Amino acid sequence: MPASTLAGLALLVIGESHLSQANYLINPLHESLSAAGAKVHAIGACGASAGDWLKTTTVPCGGERSSGAAVIKGRDATTTPIKQLIAADKPDLVVIIIGDTMASYDKEAFPRAWAWQGVTSLAKEVGATKTPCVWVGPPWGQPGGKYQKNDPRVELMSGFLASNVAPCSYVDSLKFSKPGQWETLDGQHFTLAGYKAWSQAITKALGESPALQAMKKP
Amino acid sequence: MRAARTTRARRAQALAQFAALCCLCSLALATEIPLYATGPSQDAAFVRFVNAQDRVLEISASGSKARTRLESAQPASPFYSVDANAKLRGRLQAGDQQGDIALSVKPGEFATVVAMPGAGTIRQTILREQPDDFNALKVSLALYNVDPQCGAAGLHVVGRNTTLFEGVGAGTLQRRAMNPVSISVQLRCNGQPAAATLALGALQAGQRYSVFVVPAAGSTRLFLAADSVSR
Repeated sequence: MPASTLAGLALLVIGESHLSQANYLINPLHESLSAAGAKVHAIGACGASAGDWLKTTTVPCGGERSSGAAVIKGRDATTTPIKQLIAADKPDLVVIIIGDTMASYDKEAFPRAWAWQGVTSLAKEVGATKTPCVWVGPPWGQPGGKYQKNDPRVELMSGFLASNVAPCSYVDSLKFSKPGQWETLDGQHFTLAGYKAWSQAITKALGESPALQAMKKP
Repeated sequence: MRAARTTRARRAQALAQFAALCCLCSLALATEIPLYATGPSQDAAFVRFVNAQDRVLEISASGSKARTRLESAQPASPFYSVDANAKLRGRLQAGDQQGDIALSVKPGEFATVVAMPGAGTIRQTILREQPDDFNALKVSLALYNVDPQCGAAGLHVVGRNTTLFEGVGAGTLQRRAMNPVSISVQLRCNGQPAAATLALGALQAGQRYSVFVVPAAGSTRLFLAADSVSR
């Protein structure tokens, strides 16, 4: 059961816009992980790619929740370098929820070299601290919308992450739903029902992830 | 009097409704996610420099104070991130020999400028690759051949009946994925074993490497470089 494997663990969760609004992922995921017994510190930064978590980057909006209520920020929001966050929190597990901000849904070409540089840099930065980590990939959205999210590109992005996030282990969110199944507001960001479903699926997957199983072995 | 009171009451009600509407508007705006880019306008581009000489090479960029120095014992720079399609200019200097750098790098491209001794000037060969094999679970190894004396270069694993590369012409490169292992390799030129062998050491998964085949005095030299990216 996820509740038993996550119980007592300190989780540092970082991510993109999905974690940046009260009615998005930040609250249902925090509540789902907390219900499983984890102590959660979640931070979201709209539009932040993996490389933006190596330094302080100003973003158009953000959110943060630890023991109290979520604090939602506007244009004063920034990322915090991952090494600094890990040094402050000393988490048992780092959870990275990044994918949609790196998929270039509105561009014909996928920026593979840029994505490789950002993803591997962040994964290695976490790995250098010896903190286990799990990378949660992007879920299916609904084609179109202002971000022009589309199924072929989200599939490509997910496959790319699966091959490049080591030493983090990968959670494939595409397995959690069928394309278009979770209703969105804009093609990319879900209604609360979608975020609740994603939260439950992430919590279950984290409980079963190799990173956590290895950590729990005596 | 009564009519005036009614008018004031209506105005107050209208103001209250307007204020409530504004409040609703601001709440709606507060939950609106600002539109952000889901990636860069174009892919990243990179350039590195390799010193295939037996003396120090100094590299300087035009229009900036950026400089680097490559000793022959540490002959490859990391890849530097550059603006894709921008005209890059600079200067190479080794002893009393010089050479101008002028190139542009396409989006997604990794360019390698190899500097070799020439007649009165530094000779350059630029090799370019657009990799699509990024994989953190595998080793990525390339063979860069810039020695015209070694046509159709290849690498054979010492002590095993395994060929890693073959038929890599001068001025070209090949790249392949492999499992993380610790091996030594022997150079082959035109299918014949050459004198040069090289211990690659323990190659790490997720890392990218290049073996360079460069001309040396009367022979061919091999060296290994990690394809790191400067931060």
